[in-house]
Amino acid sequence: MGAFLIYGTIDMPDWGDPNSPPSVHVSPRYIKKTEEETATPNMVTSVLADYRGYDTLGETTVIFTAGMACILLLRRRKEAGKAGQ
Amino acid sequence: MDFIIAKYNYWIYIILMMIGFYAMIAKTNLIKKIIGMNIFQTAIILFFVSMAYKKGGATLPILTNADMHGEHAIQVAGYLNPLPHVLMLTAIVVSIATLGVALAIAIMMYRKYHTLEEDEILKAIK
Repeated sequence: MGAFLIYGTIDMPDWGDPNSPPSVHVSPRYIKKTEEETATPNMVTSVLADYRGYDTLGETTVIFTAGMACILLLRRRKEAGKAGQ
Repeated sequence: MDFIIAKYNYWIYIILMMIGFYAMIAKTNLIKKIIGMNIFQTAIILFFVSMAYKKGGATLPILTNADMHGEHAIQVAGYLNPLPHVLMLTAIVVSIATLGVALAIAIMMYRKYHTLEEDEILKAIK
């Protein structure tokens, strides 16, 4: 499996290539318009909170679900614990 | 030689990913499996962050003062790609959530069976 992945890297863009596909298609638009549209100097913040606000909202749901799962799993059940053990 | 210098970062992440994959499959201790899962996730995060890098004087994706006040057009090559950073922020959050739930389940297993070795737990279930 690792050899298969290494075979796949032959077609990957070079490290640090400014013209690689991920930095050519979508991100220039964010870099150019982020100040005009959101007035935020930090692009990571503007993409996270403005352009992908729904994504971040779903992310908080993930955290809430994980926290609830931890609480439900680790809670000591007083009556059930005495009866079960 | 140029080929090796241009691609060796991917190979490092593949090696890390295979270490994590091996730990998830071959180890019998549940905590070691969880550590393997974390190594796997870290390899993917490093892979995406390395995709964001641009050679030739690119800085962090935070606008400088001159660009902020529109004194000249913003040079795209002067900033790193912000998108992989954002996506990996989300991925880190998800990895923390899965790690927390996995550790909580491991604690519950230990309370019930008093061991974290997988074969002993399977024996106790039968």
